[in-house]
Amino acid sequence: MSAPVGVVGGGRFGRSLATAILRSGDAILWSRSGGEEAHVTTEVKELSRCELIFLSVPSTHVPAVAKALAPHLDGRHLLVHVSRGLIGDDLWTVSRHLRHNTPARRVGCLAGPLDAEAFSEDRPGGGIVGTQFPEVADAVRAAIAGASLRLYDSRDVVGVEVASAMVGLLALQAGFCLERHIPPSAMAVMMSRGLAEAARVGVKLGGEEATFYGMAGSGDLFAALGGDERAEVRLGRALARKLDLEAAGREAGAYIEGVTIARRVAAYAERVGIEAPIAAVTARALDGEMSIEDGLRYLMER
Amino acid sequence: MLKKLLSRPMRLPRLKPYVPSPDDPAIFWFNSERDDIIREVVRRLVERYAHDRASLEYALNEVAFHETRRLEGQRDEEAKAALGYWRGLLRRIARMSDDAKRDALRGIAQRMARDIAGNFDPRVYSLATRVTPRLLTGVMRPASLPQDLASLGAPAIDEMLRAEGELDLLKRLEKIGTLVYVPTHSSNLDSIALGYSLMREDLAPVVYGAGKNLFTNPIISFFMHNLGAYRVDRRVSARLYKEALKTYSCVMIERGYHSLFFPGGTRSRSGMLERHLKLGLAGTAVEAFARNQVFGIDRPVWFVPVTINYGLVMEAESLIEDHLKLMGEARYIIEDDEFSQVDRWVTFFRKLIGTQGACVIRYGRPVDCFGNTVDDDGRSVAPGGTVVDPGTYVWRHGAPVLDAHRDAAYTRELGETLLDVYRKDTVLMQTQLTAHVLFRRLVRETPGVDLFGRLRFRGEVRMPREDFVRDLGETRDRAAAVESAGGVRLSRKLRKSTPEAILDESIAVWDGYHTRCVSRQVGSDIVAEDPTLLLYYQNRLVDYAQQVASDDDLPAAREISLLGAQA
Repeated sequence: MSAPVGVVGGGRFGRSLATAILRSGDAILWSRSGGEEAHVTTEVKELSRCELIFLSVPSTHVPAVAKALAPHLDGRHLLVHVSRGLIGDDLWTVSRHLRHNTPARRVGCLAGPLDAEAFSEDRPGGGIVGTQFPEVADAVRAAIAGASLRLYDSRDVVGVEVASAMVGLLALQAGFCLERHIPPSAMAVMMSRGLAEAARVGVKLGGEEATFYGMAGSGDLFAALGGDERAEVRLGRALARKLDLEAAGREAGAYIEGVTIARRVAAYAERVGIEAPIAAVTARALDGEMSIEDGLRYLMER
Repeated sequence: MLKKLLSRPMRLPRLKPYVPSPDDPAIFWFNSERDDIIREVVRRLVERYAHDRASLEYALNEVAFHETRRLEGQRDEEAKAALGYWRGLLRRIARMSDDAKRDALRGIAQRMARDIAGNFDPRVYSLATRVTPRLLTGVMRPASLPQDLASLGAPAIDEMLRAEGELDLLKRLEKIGTLVYVPTHSSNLDSIALGYSLMREDLAPVVYGAGKNLFTNPIISFFMHNLGAYRVDRRVSARLYKEALKTYSCVMIERGYHSLFFPGGTRSRSGMLERHLKLGLAGTAVEAFARNQVFGIDRPVWFVPVTINYGLVMEAESLIEDHLKLMGEARYIIEDDEFSQVDRWVTFFRKLIGTQGACVIRYGRPVDCFGNTVDDDGRSVAPGGTVVDPGTYVWRHGAPVLDAHRDAAYTRELGETLLDVYRKDTVLMQTQLTAHVLFRRLVRETPGVDLFGRLRFRGEVRMPREDFVRDLGETRDRAAAVESAGGVRLSRKLRKSTPEAILDESIAVWDGYHTRCVSRQVGSDIVAEDPTLLLYYQNRLVDYAQQVASDDDLPAAREISLLGAQA
């Protein structure tokens, strides 16, 4: 009956998305490395048959993917990405990049306390779709929301995207604190300040403060603290066990956006005159300029 | 008495009706379609509000309440005539039957639509094309009127007003689709200057909503009434009225009438480029495009971003005073500014006589309703160079559909696109740059003082002419570099004149028009006499302040760009 739903990216999340889509409809998964399954293709033009297309690639790959995809898109396509990254020194959100570099205007972001396995296996869970276009949220719900997956939506796309990126950063610290058994009270202070910092950055970029204390911000962070053991948390834990960044990354087993945005967020904050000490300290710690312990001490004493 | 007569709708007598030819733009048929358009507007309004009892009752209550309140405050002829009706309606609504309510709504909608609907008289249009330049020249320079009327040479106004940009493309596109001109707004002269410029460039006339207060100027009123202006009464705040205006605009664009509106909503008080747009009317163009698609009419709608740039702004003094007085809480309608004073008109135009390019109108490259640019054949080109069918943007599940939320989202994004084009297509004028360099010096020499403090430094900041000229020249060169990178435009004169000439001409243009001295030379020094007017003129540069500053001036330039962030 309806058009197939596209997925760009054959990573863990992309494949989970395809599994969820296939429960009730048709999916086309575009992956450079291809795959055995019938719905996997290496031909990008196949995606033009879709109306809704998910982008499940790291933000650093978004420009290349957008370029490859653009000639096969027009105004009917709805693009939804799941990236936790921000692009370039001006911290462009992924949806903004897509809007400015492809024919698609109806774009959005899927974020919040999502966990890949939860929705491929239809376990209870939820998330949020950030989009200005109600039909984008409707299409996402129709494609992946099972009986137990609750999807909210928000018009504040920038807020949702920045919240998602910044929570990635905070989840990394949460992993570190959990592994080191940092007292819950200290950790709560860190996380609350982290959300406030995220909100400052988000508002400067055009988002709304309330979004950061909703599903996309605190909702997402609760899941990380509640033990979803997402990749960022695992990375933080590995760093806490004194692994170097590369080894820790291997152990976490996924590409982690938080590492790349910390420095850019810190630099942006300085440039536009807002305070973002947590991003700054995280950047220095990840670059090996200070230990994470010193960083935490510095933040708590500040 | 005469003023009153002139502000009433005056029409040429119906002696010899004009028969439109097939090549004429849609507007030449307006009078024969007028009743049909009004009917359609009323039909949509009734459909929108009368579909259920609650919304019908709310709409009636709302309009009756707002109109009663407005008229009670107004105490004029109109109030005497209409107040009784609205008060009566307010009393009766609760007891009215559904049919009676619907009838009342229809009646109100009809009166509103009739009041809004304009008129277009092709004879006035052709009269205007022939006479206006000379008439305007005459206003400016009465002594030369006989010569001008007799000579075949370009009247003086043609030198003052320069049009540049995508004129050829517009001439092609206006035959294939509907153009919606969306200019920046800094003076009430804008609609006249633009209307005249369209006429001179042989582009089709446009319909536009003109504030009812404009109709009180006898010189313009006659042309306004007969050149397709529709009337917007900004005192009426009822939602039904705003909806009637939007519906009217939507129906007109749907039917292919080229339109004009100022997305800034009101003249820029600060002198800055638009920073926030009021997109209600822009939304009607998006809706019109979608409606046509749904009904199988594949007529493109293109937005034409236009910047209107003045070296001298007629209402500068009133506007900036208003900006400062309320900083953000501006009076919406200024009734008593320079625009309504005939002597200011005469002084203004006399001042500008012989000033080439005193007003530059730049027609930007059109975009479709979804922010895509347009190629020479009118096809939409998405970022990355893909040609797309704009119709697909209103598709869902493989077919075009109507969706108000979707169109509102498109409109918001279109607003961002327009702001971006305005910034790149603004034409910097000599006076603006001169004012910027002087104001920047004022900021630099008054560290730690706030804006209002600085405005009190009347005539206290000065710099040697020699230094000033050097500074001005260097700043101009940096602005030219920004222009090369596509970040802004420079007026031809600003680009080509020597810094000395830029300075002297700026001072000469201000001097004698503005009631206060803006800047002057005392001995060998250039003195910043009136920081308020300097602020007004330099505000056009807030977005580029840091790009045109030397390292020494950078701190001052940062402070100036903060003015933009606070606005």
